[in-house]
Amino acid sequence: MSYLSFMKQALGNLFKKPATSPYPLQPKTFEEGVRGHVENDSSRCILCGMCMRTCPAGAITVDRKTGLWRLDPFSCVQCAACVENCPKKCLSMKPEYTAPALKKEAVELQVVLPAAPAKPALAGKGPAKAAPAAPAAAATAGATGSQVVNDVSRCICCGMCQRNCPAGAITVNLRERTWRIDLASCVNCDTCITNCPRKCLSLGSYAGSPAEVTLHVPRPKVNKAPAQKGNPDA
Amino acid sequence: MAEITTVPFGPQHPVLPEPVHLDLELKDEKVVRAIPSIGYVHRGLEKLVEKRDFKQFTFVAERVCGICSFGHGWGYVKAVEGLMGIEVPRRASYLRTLWHELSRVHSHLLWLGLAADAMGFESLFMTAWRLRETVLDLFEETTGGRVIFSVCKVGGVRRDLTGAMMKEIEDKLKGMRKEFRAMSDIFLHDGTIQSRLAGIGVLSLQDARDFGCLGPMARASGLPLDYRCADDEGAYKDLHFRPVTEQAGDCLARVKVRLEEIEQSIDLILGCLENMPEGPVEVPVKGFPPAGEYFTRVEQPRGEAVYYVKGNGTKNLERFRLRTPTNGNLPGLVKILQGCDLADVPNIILTIDPCISCCER
Repeated sequence: MSYLSFMKQALGNLFKKPATSPYPLQPKTFEEGVRGHVENDSSRCILCGMCMRTCPAGAITVDRKTGLWRLDPFSCVQCAACVENCPKKCLSMKPEYTAPALKKEAVELQVVLPAAPAKPALAGKGPAKAAPAAPAAAATAGATGSQVVNDVSRCICCGMCQRNCPAGAITVNLRERTWRIDLASCVNCDTCITNCPRKCLSLGSYAGSPAEVTLHVPRPKVNKAPAQKGNPDA
Repeated sequence: MAEITTVPFGPQHPVLPEPVHLDLELKDEKVVRAIPSIGYVHRGLEKLVEKRDFKQFTFVAERVCGICSFGHGWGYVKAVEGLMGIEVPRRASYLRTLWHELSRVHSHLLWLGLAADAMGFESLFMTAWRLRETVLDLFEETTGGRVIFSVCKVGGVRRDLTGAMMKEIEDKLKGMRKEFRAMSDIFLHDGTIQSRLAGIGVLSLQDARDFGCLGPMARASGLPLDYRCADDEGAYKDLHFRPVTEQAGDCLARVKVRLEEIEQSIDLILGCLENMPEGPVEVPVKGFPPAGEYFTRVEQPRGEAVYYVKGNGTKNLERFRLRTPTNGNLPGLVKILQGCDLADVPNIILTIDPCISCCER
């Protein structure tokens, strides 16, 4: 047991470099993966709202009507859940911390969605409801369109599109063999197309401007009828 | 005969990092009875499990406490994984063990600094916190956050370590160890510290058992309670973990246990880095937690924490319950405060390493 045993270290500290950095004079350098703040590349954003739904702090609000993407940096907890779940990868985490602010102001971005026939006119709702099962022939797949169309001859009603849709716009009913898309809710994020195991979904356009389209999916043709178990009416 | 005087201690007191209130009943300078009361930092985080889905709640669970944040995240995802029957890849378990042990090093260093500060040894406090800064920098580099790491997720971890990062952790910890041993010597041999801690606040083995003490507090009284011995998920079994114990049961023994545990944690981290298995760090999680219950435990820096989840088949869990080590250590604290000097009360309270925000959630 000794007293003043710290003396050696304390004197040594006098001749050491300081452990802290003189902050405002020497700005902090950040490592690559540091979670500092969220940034949105609004040119790629499609306002799908996935970030709003995954944010545990409720810091993000997405308004498709006004095209406004809004982040409250004072609620954001920098967990990067939005960045991980963004289907378009337009959100990214930047390493720098945001500067101190005098006012609690939100980051607001005006997102311009590509002008498209995607927005169905209200008038389109009438005929769509009157004839809920729009014929499959009405849809034309092609690179030019921006509506999700389904090649029902290949569809197996697996429901992957429904499970992955961030907007909940797709409903698949295996029993009735129907595939329904609510075009008013669809946010054109392509998530269903990338997740479709049969590659039967693609971008195209529907004739007219229906608010929703219901397609009947025919049962797959069975080549070797005797070898198959059950399903006699196929 | 002197009359009984009641002296309030806390909730705001220079030695307390977090608010806890004690009514100390004194006869002259001796404490006759201590009555604790908590409830200053209750935030209702457990209730939030009904409002956030089970994946989002990982981030909430981490925010139960700033110092044991990784352990809480781990405990929660471990419980959900158990409920859903998910087996995490081995590499993810090793990474979780590594980060958990790193957070133990940072927690114990923080505590050693506070202990030095409580007895007015300011330069030792600065030394401990300077060492802790090395660990925080490692966290910032490997997980992206200094205090809240957000790397645990249901099904694995969100980040992997590159070879360069592993090399850096190894180098920095080996470099830190030399400085740590110099600091450790002062804690163990300096006369000022001995006279403030040795023989103060003695908790016997029998009392530690009777009052259900946990973590370093129980281990300092010779009770080898450490959940890491029984942990199947982490890498502890592969690394032949043995708990650190001391026999004296006084404040100095609690310091010694924590000093020894830092050394041990550094060994565990180096062992993890050496034996790090290759492979994926996460498995895809499908569906929602089924209806049912699951409970699991994690050895936090302050002792064993219990996590309970109850699912109902929806994306929101029905119940999440957390029992923290400070909760278990408060009865022991009340016991050791009886008969001590008023001047020793701050040191004794600090040596149980109270974490009130964990305790109240």
